[in-house]
Amino acid sequence: MISFASFPVQPERGSEYARHFPGDEDDHMDLDDGDFEAGGSKITWPGESITSSQAYMRGHGTYVENEEVVASVAGTIERVNKLITVRAIRTKYNPEVGDLVVGRITEVQPRRWKVDANSRQDAVLMLSSVNLPGGVQRRKLESDELQMRNFFEEGDLLVAEVQAFFADGAMSLHTRSLKYGKLRNGQLVTIPPILVRRLKSHFITLPCGVDLILGLNGYIWVSKHVKESEQEGEEGFDAEAVYSNRNDFIDDSTRIAISRVANIIQVLASHFVPLTDTLLLEAYEWTVENDTDAKGLLSEDVGDALVATIAARA
Amino acid sequence: MASISTSKAEISYIRTGLLSNPPLRADGRGLHDFRTISLETGVAPLANGSAHLNIGKNPHDGGGGTEVLAAAKLEVENVDGHGDGVNGGRIVCTVSCSPSAYPHLSAPALDDLQQDMSTLLHQTLAHPSLHPPNLGILAGKKSWLLNLDCVVLADAGNTYDALFMAARAALWDCKVPRTRAVEYKASSAAPGAKVLASGEMDVDVGRDIEAQQSGFDTRSIARAVDFELPDYWDEGEVLGGSDRWPVCVTLNIAAPPPSSSSTAPCVHYLDALPQEEAATPLRLLLVFSFPPSSSSNLQAMRILGSGELESNQIRDFVASGEQYGQKIWNALNGKLKEEDVRRGQKARDRFARR
Repeated sequence: MISFASFPVQPERGSEYARHFPGDEDDHMDLDDGDFEAGGSKITWPGESITSSQAYMRGHGTYVENEEVVASVAGTIERVNKLITVRAIRTKYNPEVGDLVVGRITEVQPRRWKVDANSRQDAVLMLSSVNLPGGVQRRKLESDELQMRNFFEEGDLLVAEVQAFFADGAMSLHTRSLKYGKLRNGQLVTIPPILVRRLKSHFITLPCGVDLILGLNGYIWVSKHVKESEQEGEEGFDAEAVYSNRNDFIDDSTRIAISRVANIIQVLASHFVPLTDTLLLEAYEWTVENDTDAKGLLSEDVGDALVATIAARA
Repeated sequence: MASISTSKAEISYIRTGLLSNPPLRADGRGLHDFRTISLETGVAPLANGSAHLNIGKNPHDGGGGTEVLAAAKLEVENVDGHGDGVNGGRIVCTVSCSPSAYPHLSAPALDDLQQDMSTLLHQTLAHPSLHPPNLGILAGKKSWLLNLDCVVLADAGNTYDALFMAARAALWDCKVPRTRAVEYKASSAAPGAKVLASGEMDVDVGRDIEAQQSGFDTRSIARAVDFELPDYWDEGEVLGGSDRWPVCVTLNIAAPPPSSSSTAPCVHYLDALPQEEAATPLRLLLVFSFPPSSSSNLQAMRILGSGELESNQIRDFVASGEQYGQKIWNALNGKLKEEDVRRGQKARDRFARR
C-alpha cells in the first residue's frame, strides 16, 4: 500500500568536480555560415558563448557580454540571417496563429472569457468567436451576453484554435468549428509544450476506444471515443449537447484505457520523448502485450522499459 | 482547500470512477495505494533535525509531487515570569506555504491556509501527551524551545499526510545538545569570602550557605545557575519520545450525490491527487500515534470540506484509518531507520577518508 524511496544521490562536490571556467576552454565554438544547416539543431546551455556579437545580432534567449553573444537559456540555437536566437527547451507555450490548444476558463468578463492556455498571458475567447445556439451565423444578442456562463464557466476545459494576437501579445481563440468546444468524458494530462509536435491532425483516435486531443500548449485531453456519426452538431447544431457538463456513460474498460493512455503520456513526457500518434499507438500496444496496467506504468522500471522499446522501434 | 479549478465534467468523471465497482482512479492506483514517497533526513545542516519529503515524485525526471521540508531548531529560553518559557521546554510548530505551490491563491488566502496547517500541526504536536522528556535544561531557569518549521514547497495533493510525515521525520532526527549545569560554590576554606567565578554571584553564594545551614529544609533547591555545552563527539542525545510522534491519515470520502437515487455506499480513498481533492466534498484527517508500550492513540481529528458525516460512520472510518495509520507508521519507521544507517555510513566514510 505504501512504499518509501530515497532521493537520488547528489554528486559529491570534491576534487573530481572539475569546475568549468569560461576563459580557458579549447572547444570554443564560433559559428560559421552554414553551421546550422549542416548538423541539424545545435543545443546550447546558459552562459555558453555562441558567437561574436560583431558578426551576429542577438535575439531571444541570448545576451551580449564581452562582444560575444551568450545563451541565457538551455535550448536549440536558431538563426535567421544574422539574427541568433535560442529556443528554450523548458518554456511556456509560444502561440502561433492556427495552433490547436486546449485551455481552461479562468474568468468570465463582459463579452469575453479569459482562458488559461499555459502561455505567458491568459488567452481571450470572445463571445463573437464561439458557436452560439441557433446554429447559423447570427448577431450576438444581449441575451447571449447575459447567459455567458451557460456556454462556458470558470474551470471548464475547451479546445480551440489560435485566431489572432492582440497588441499586447495575448492570443485570441476561436471555437468556430464543430470540432472545437467544451471537453467532456475524460481527463487532462499536462506535459511540456515542446513535446507536442505539429501533426497533420491533433485529433487522434486510438483503436482502444480513446480519443486524444494534443493541444500544442502541452495540455492533452484524453477521453472516450465518440463516433463520427454521433458527434454533436453538423446541420442541427445542438447547443444543449455542445455546452453540456454531463458526461456520457463510460464503461470500465474505456476508463482503464483512458488511465493507461494518460500514464503512458506521463511516462513519455518524463523521458522527454516527443509525442506522435504512431508512438502512442506503439506504446499502448506494448503495454497490452506486456500486460501492464496503468498503475504499473508509474514504477520506474516499467517506464524505462517502455521508453527503451519505443526508442528501439522508432 | 487547494482547489485548482476543475470543470464539472472532470469532477463528475472522477467521482463516477471512484464510485464505480471496481473503483477506478485517474492514474490507475487502487483506492488505498499511496504514490511513492521519497524521504531524506538531515538535509539542513544548521537545524537540530530536518527532513525532506516528497509524495508522488516522477521516478525518472524527479519533477512533480507534494514537496515538504521540515526542520526542528532548538533555542534556549529563560523560564521566568516574563517570557513564554515554561519548565520542561515547549514546542512551537509553524507551517509556511510557498506561493509557487499555490499560484492561484491570493496572499490573504495563502495566509489563511498556512494558518490552518500551523494550527493543526501545533495543536497536535505540542500536546502534553506527546511532550518529550528532555527539553528542560535547568528547572525554573532555562529550557529548550523547539521550533518546528515546515515549508510546503509544492502541493500535488495530500499535503497533510506529507506534513505530518515530514514533521515526524524531523523530530526523529532531532538531537538535543548535551548540557551540564554550572553552579558556583564558595570554597569551603573561607565561606562566603571567595567566589570561583564572577563577582555577581555573591547572592547565590549567600543562599547556598543558608541552604546548607538549615538542616530542616528538605526541599531540594536548584543551585545551578547556568549551563555549559560540553564538547562531545556527537551532536547530542536524541529527542525523547521519538517513538510517539504521530502520523496523519487523510481519508478522502466520496459519497454519491444526494440527488441520485443510487444507494452506492460511500467509499474512502487515500493519497488524493489535487484533481481528486477538488472532486471530493469531504476529507477526514486522523492523526494516530502508535507508542510501543500501549495501544494506539488518536491524537487529532479534523473534518475538511462541505460534506456531511454521521457519527456512526465516523467509528468505521476511525477503525479503518487506524489500520492505514499502522501501515504508514511501520513503513515510515523502517525508512527512518534506513536513513539513520545511511547517514551513519556516510559519516564513517568521511571520517575514514581523513
